[in-house]
Amino acid sequence: MADDKDVLRDVWFGRIPACFTLSPEETTEREAEPYYLLLPRVSYLTLVTDKVKKHFLRVMKAEDVEEMWLEYEGTPLKWHYPIGVLFDLHASNTALPWNVTVHFKNFPEDDLLHCASNSVIEAHFMSCIKEADALKHKGQVINDMQKKDHKQLWMGLQNDKFDQFWAMNRKLMEYPTEEGGFRYIPFRIYQTMSDRPFIQKLFRPVSPEGHTLTLGDLLKELFPAAICAEGGWHQR
Amino acid sequence: MAAERNPVSCYLDERTFRLCCQLFLQHSETIKDGWSWEQIKGTDEGFMKKTLLIPVKSSVLHEQPESSVQDEDMVTDNIQANVEDETAGVQAVCEIHAVLRYEYHVLYSFSYQIPVLYFRASALDGQPLSLEEVWRNVHLNYRQRLQQGPWDTLTQQEHPLLGQPFFMLHPCRTEEFMKPALDLAQAENKRVNYIVTWLSVVGPVIRLDVPLSYSTESDISLHYAAK
Repeated sequence: MADDKDVLRDVWFGRIPACFTLSPEETTEREAEPYYLLLPRVSYLTLVTDKVKKHFLRVMKAEDVEEMWLEYEGTPLKWHYPIGVLFDLHASNTALPWNVTVHFKNFPEDDLLHCASNSVIEAHFMSCIKEADALKHKGQVINDMQKKDHKQLWMGLQNDKFDQFWAMNRKLMEYPTEEGGFRYIPFRIYQTMSDRPFIQKLFRPVSPEGHTLTLGDLLKELFPAAICAEGGWHQR
Repeated sequence: MAAERNPVSCYLDERTFRLCCQLFLQHSETIKDGWSWEQIKGTDEGFMKKTLLIPVKSSVLHEQPESSVQDEDMVTDNIQANVEDETAGVQAVCEIHAVLRYEYHVLYSFSYQIPVLYFRASALDGQPLSLEEVWRNVHLNYRQRLQQGPWDTLTQQEHPLLGQPFFMLHPCRTEEFMKPALDLAQAENKRVNYIVTWLSVVGPVIRLDVPLSYSTESDISLHYAAK
């Protein structure tokens, strides 16, 4: 993993420039200016948009404010997906900045999970980490870690601290080749044109014959529609 | 002298999950218990589903300080008992203020290799219940257990096949209660249906009952092979 440090840093520090505009449906006491923010790809919307909320609350009456939710071109944005995934899924083909609309009423109960506090985000994040480890190491690594290690992982993400995060995450990314590496690769293939939020199946990193498999092999087996007949790639 | 046996695995492979569901559904059909199988179009995946209408006292839906909620008779099945006492009878009738719609889904988790129970709840007008309201609707006897485990927590989650918000009972500690049940069945050479055993434990916490006939009907059980 040491050679990959540059890649890990590039992934961690990836940013998406976004422009937040208040929905015209909202009632304001005076005009609301748009708010610009660089969003970390690896984080979650509700974790990084406190400033956005504060900015718009300044022009609104308290009684007109309920839980904030975000939307892009009519589609409510699922805060529990990493920001990078949301952008790639909905807006990667459009010009930057990413134009996101802010709402404070008519929460779309059928589309979005509620997010009452940061502890909800933490619980969701830890649950994803646990599920991934269940696939990689039968949950042994995450269960052997102490509560304070779990907390460090979360705080690293919350406070955008690469070293703090990876000090713990590298244990979860250990690939014991003598034991066959990861038991299964934790992955999700997100799609827009489907009710089904993502494709997630069991996939071993090594074939029965002992060959290490690639992303291409995974897609060929589980999502062949993503690959053209000529061996090229479909857009998104 | 009992022969040495390998401990029974409390995990469920997908094939066995579907088989147990099939048998479960057959029995449901027989006793008109309302379960159905929902298949995801174009795949061999699916889940079991059931909808229930549950009458509750109006106090369950509104802000109430803990001490004033009579949790013991939150369910209205004791109305019949008060027929003699007119006042009590009238009061009980006035208190059936709302009917809630609970929809239960039994899915298979590949990651944990166990079944998982998802559900959503709403008033009859479609207004969904919040997590707090769902909590208030959990019988007092179960609330303590829920907080202490073996189920970690009740949380809102995205339904992995439908993409909509549901509530879910965390599956992390399923093996804690399944293992003893399966070990016992193996020791007594009894057949079990994993889904029946599992649902009988987790269901009642969220107002879902599994009639006894599921457990006594031997046709729906499998011989639990040691892994």
